[in-house]
Amino acid sequence: MVSGNKSSDSIDLKGAPLSLAEGARGALLSFLRETLDNGLLDALLIPMKVPAGDSYAWVLVKDKSLLEDANPFAPIMPVQGARALSSITKHGAPDLRIGAVLRPCEQRAAIELCKLKQLDMEKVVFITLDCPGVIPLKDWFSDPEKGETQFQQLLEKGDFLSPQMRPVCQICDKMSAPIDVDNATFPDIHFALLGVPENKGLLIPFSDIGNELLEKTGQALSSDTQTWQSKVKEINAQKCGKRKTAHEKLDKEISGPEKFPKAFAFCINCHNCMRVCPVCYCQKCYFDSEMLKHSADTYLERSMKKGSLWFKPDSLLFQIGRLSHMSLSCVSCGTCQDACPMDIIVGQVFAFSSDQTQQAFEYAAGRNLDETLPMRIYQEDKELPEVCSMCKDVLESGEDQ
Amino acid sequence: MSKILKTNKGAEKCLQDFLKHLLESGKAKAVMALSKTVATDQDYTLNYSLISSTEELDNALPFFPLMPANAGKLVSYLTLKGPISAPIAVVLKPCELRAFVELVKREQGHLDNLLIISHSCGGVLTFDSYLNGNLDQDIKAYWGAVRKNQIPDKVRPTCKACIHFEPYTADISFDLIGQDLDQTCQITVMTDKGESILDGFDVKWTETKADPKTAQDLKALRQKAKDGLFESINADIYGIDNLIDVFGRCIGCHGCSNTCPICYCILCDFESKDHEFEPNIFEAEIIKRGGLRVPPNTLLFHIGRLSHMGISCVSCGLCSDVCPVEIPVSTIFSKVGEAIQDLFKYIPGKDLEEKIPLTKFEKQEFEEIEDK
Amino acid sequence: MSDTFEPRIVGFFCKWCTYAGADLAGTSRLQYPPNVLPIRVMCSSRVDPVFLITAYLRGADAVLIGGCHPGDCHYIEGNYYTRRRMAMMKTIFESLGLEPERLRLSWISASEGPRFASVITEYTENTRKKGPNPVKSKVFI
Ligand code: SF4
Ligand code: SF4
Ligand code: SF4
Ligand code: SF4
Ligand code: SF4
Ligand code: FES
Repeated sequence: MVSGNKSSDSIDLKGAPLSLAEGARGALLSFLRETLDNGLLDALLIPMKVPAGDSYAWVLVKDKSLLEDANPFAPIMPVQGARALSSITKHGAPDLRIGAVLRPCEQRAAIELCKLKQLDMEKVVFITLDCPGVIPLKDWFSDPEKGETQFQQLLEKGDFLSPQMRPVCQICDKMSAPIDVDNATFPDIHFALLGVPENKGLLIPFSDIGNELLEKTGQALSSDTQTWQSKVKEINAQKCGKRKTAHEKLDKEISGPEKFPKAFAFCINCHNCMRVCPVCYCQKCYFDSEMLKHSADTYLERSMKKGSLWFKPDSLLFQIGRLSHMSLSCVSCGTCQDACPMDIIVGQVFAFSSDQTQQAFEYAAGRNLDETLPMRIYQEDKELPEVCSMCKDVLESGEDQ
Repeated sequence: MSKILKTNKGAEKCLQDFLKHLLESGKAKAVMALSKTVATDQDYTLNYSLISSTEELDNALPFFPLMPANAGKLVSYLTLKGPISAPIAVVLKPCELRAFVELVKREQGHLDNLLIISHSCGGVLTFDSYLNGNLDQDIKAYWGAVRKNQIPDKVRPTCKACIHFEPYTADISFDLIGQDLDQTCQITVMTDKGESILDGFDVKWTETKADPKTAQDLKALRQKAKDGLFESINADIYGIDNLIDVFGRCIGCHGCSNTCPICYCILCDFESKDHEFEPNIFEAEIIKRGGLRVPPNTLLFHIGRLSHMGISCVSCGLCSDVCPVEIPVSTIFSKVGEAIQDLFKYIPGKDLEEKIPLTKFEKQEFEEIEDK
Repeated sequence: MSDTFEPRIVGFFCKWCTYAGADLAGTSRLQYPPNVLPIRVMCSSRVDPVFLITAYLRGADAVLIGGCHPGDCHYIEGNYYTRRRMAMMKTIFESLGLEPERLRLSWISASEGPRFASVITEYTENTRKKGPNPVKSKVFI
């Protein structure tokens, strides 16, 4: 991974063309196979069809014959890739150079987990791809074969705006390498599809390791990337607009003490959303801990006060509390929503709220590895005047010590 | 003791009035029951509530065939830190009651001051009915089947196969199965406490005789359903390759264990550091296998969980309903759980005094498993 | 297969009896196959059923628990619980079609060096006949 400065630097980016005659999956896999073959990488972390053929799972692959069943463009995201990568590296980097084939939101979550010391990047080579989104699990399981064909088709068509994807995927304005973002962290290699002419994809290296991998596999950086860059920017802009509209609508629907509880009226408190969330890494969630368990009489008192107490209690505390814990690192991947048995739009709500918290701190989850988590720093007297009247006075009077 | 009483008042109304009577007379300070909670545009947002005012009691729907959480787990949550100091009535389905008894055995709850009301149970609808918009229709069909002493169509698979549909340790049980529920209400008073609490409830009861045939008929039906269910799940899971197929789609959300009433651990063993791999283990495993699914330990979690709580699985079916990828978790746990329970001739939650089999032993037993 | 296949067996041995029995077998220069990886535990009842499952899923061809004879457990009744747990584990393995024969329980006292050697020999040969644990090569565990 490498952190760049200005998005305009990427104008001169070069890429190595790969023929898509065998499809995007086939093209990328043949390159990955070679990296294993040449010993450039020791293992790959990649989605693989499960033996029953009805789903995908992350597999750390060493034996390249297993790649037959691998699919970097898996139509679903049953487990967020950053979570898989964290499980391998959280106790330190293994003695293996691992190529992690991730979607952009998975890379962003990996960056957050790295800041949270739950992931070690040292031996990881990040390979990302242009992501058309993923199909919601519920839709997928109603007919996996159909899902497979559908996804294949929209990949071929270059349809990155499909309404069949997760709701948060439909409004994801970061679905490629972050060339349109200032001061972002880039993967080592990105596999570009959008806007690339002549039925080709491009392997674009961003780091030394990325360059080395391409060089040693004999991939010449012979193509420029302008058409890809402009297409990425175009689609991101389009989706950014959709995001704004969607969030304005959601704001009307769920904001406020009356409406917010309704969004979670069906919540059964299973906490699936938290346990699949890539950035909710705590071994023991605070909201499942002893801290929240009280004596029977306390609950009785609470019930007497209101006439009735929803049991298990503190259901909304969990939702709002979880937002307060992790919304600054939420990458809007939608994995939580996929895991919710009650069809609650929890992913949409979290994407909406975390856009606001992240904006408030001019932070973007997973944008840059070197950016400090906002809750770890502060600026004396200089920030957030709206929350503290004293700061406000100081700021307004222009005094600054 | 056991006494059967009948009155000409609909069952639901009768229970409502009874709960009201309990609150008004101060015999109970609150009632834990299913009730309408947050009002949405859809009608039925049901959750359990601890209700202490009679107005709020109007929202209670104690017999509603839904199980958003296993209420046994909730009563355990309520009484975990110690007994409640004022009397509370709880309305539990038979498997919820059994789960609570298992939890009490594990010191995860207290029975003191609880008045336990239960009922013979037709099963609960799956979350699907709750979410797909056909709830009204499904509910109608449900009560139709219950009145006729048949197995309703849309209930959980483990409900269809449940032979413990009558409560074992309640104070009072409402007989719903095979009853005309609108005109009459029949209850079984199972304890002295139940008897005394009925005192002063202004309803004319007539004592009647038990009619064991209704329950026997249903039990036969359910037993047949269970045999069929277990046979088919056995074909699906038998052997390592089938197990991998069934749990291949597991996303590791642990919703199954988190909502399971028997899985009470503050930190599940399988979420603890004990089962995380050091980097060198990954290296060794991928050399051995060519590759390894990550995060690791999908099967270990499920088989390990079976070894932890299979002995007490009450087959409530919640774990299947909560599984976002539709793995038939509860059918598997119910089947393997029953095999373990049969080994020790144990019916979880039937009798509070009976120790959990793994916490006791006989000096002479199971000698066939020792190497000679 | 069987001529190249060397079974790997994980043995959980209680410190007071079976582990001491293994010691005795060693100091008496008794021959037995080197296929067991011994793990010393304070009592056979220390063996969490999850240990057995872990060993099995991670590829052990067989798992053996060794403890004191009934009545001789140094913690009075530990091995009676062990026996119940083993009965349960075998039932779980049976129900899931997972080769309960690969899980075994033996009582070997500190003075039974020869018995230790013969149990290990018999067990190793038995496992050799059974062949490798199929789980060893599975990726999707
Ligand atoms: S909600 Fe908070 S305490 Fe719970 S896992 Fe997430 S970050 Fe940790
Ligand atoms: S997954 Fe859904 S039902 Fe479960 S706690 Fe989260 S929002 Fe509630
Ligand atoms: S699986 Fe075992 S450790 Fe985990 S919660 Fe259940 S009983 Fe506890
Ligand atoms: S394992 Fe499933 S069916 Fe059994 S008690 Fe737990 S939630 Fe209910
Ligand atoms: S609820 Fe389903 S997906 Fe989640 S851990 Fe259990 S079996 Fe796996
Ligand atoms: S001390 Fe040997 S089995 Fe308990």
